[in-house]
Amino acid sequence: MKVLIIIPAYNEQENILGTVNKIKEYSEELDYIVINDGSTDNTEKILIENNINHIKLINNLGIGGAVQTGYKYAYENGFDIAIQFDGDGQHDINYVPNICEPILNGQADMVIGTRYLDKSSSKFQSTFMRRLGSNIISIFIKVFAGKKITDPTSGFRAVNKKVIEEFAKEYPKEYPEPESTVSLLVNGYKVEETPVNMNERTGGTSSIRLWKSVDYMVKVVLAIIIDSISLKRRRKK
Amino acid sequence: MQLSLRISLIIIMLIYLFCIAKSVKRKNMRIGYLVFWSIIGLLLIIALIVPNLVNNISRIVGFEIPLNMILSVAIFIILYLIFHLMTLISKEEKKNTLLIQEVSMLKKRVEDLEKKEE
Repeated sequence: MKVLIIIPAYNEQENILGTVNKIKEYSEELDYIVINDGSTDNTEKILIENNINHIKLINNLGIGGAVQTGYKYAYENGFDIAIQFDGDGQHDINYVPNICEPILNGQADMVIGTRYLDKSSSKFQSTFMRRLGSNIISIFIKVFAGKKITDPTSGFRAVNKKVIEEFAKEYPKEYPEPESTVSLLVNGYKVEETPVNMNERTGGTSSIRLWKSVDYMVKVVLAIIIDSISLKRRRKK
Repeated sequence: MQLSLRISLIIIMLIYLFCIAKSVKRKNMRIGYLVFWSIIGLLLIIALIVPNLVNNISRIVGFEIPLNMILSVAIFIILYLIFHLMTLISKEEKKNTLLIQEVSMLKKRVEDLEKKEE
């Protein structure tokens, strides 16, 4: 069973080495690939100096394009499971077995690590506004794709071989997390959730402002509606 | 419209068509687009040369003032153009993404192979 951890990184010079070292400490057998999304800081230098397995995108693509590169790499190298893992130290490597388990059992094609399912396990529950946003997106996914996903914007997720192939071919670029979830659900894949612990960012800044998040919300909801309708149409044909 | 204004506008339009012809020669724009711009130029020249053409058309169609018709038509053409351009940009973006991904992956593969040889 070959497992690949995909770590997208854009200007993560403070965090990337720590994230990769934690993965190496956790297990020597886990394969990983860092996708350096055209960083303008010292990320690339750090990756080369520490001999970290990585792909340097020759231009900035955004999170969607970077993650898809990871799935393409997983597809070309015949990996059975790919795990998406943030480069900023938010995700906890100790939850990798939890997130892989439903895939190994054949219960799911994609597993999303969620902060909201089990209140006791996660120290970082995030702010009220973020939760409100997640809830609204959740409701729309439930209505248009037919399944309740409690943490649709979580970037900690594992997928099996079939989904790796699917994502290598086509992966949404604008709002990748909720959109990819909707497209899998509409296409009849099984998506499950498992509770995980998330840390607050250890360095760098997460720039989420009120107006920006309202703008994000509206566009994500529209994307969900458009995706689900157009995909259903295509399936009928 | 005064004759002098009419003549100067016709001259401007001729210069415009000349510029288009020059672009055709240099091949710095797709021929399809050049056809579009030449048709617009020709229509404007016809409207300037034929007396009362715009007035008559706008009366038949039902506009109260000819200017209204010209502005509406112009806005529709511009909206269409912007829509067309946005579609094109989105398509090009997709192609560009694919290109960046494939080139970056190839680069990594080549570097890995070079390391192995060493």
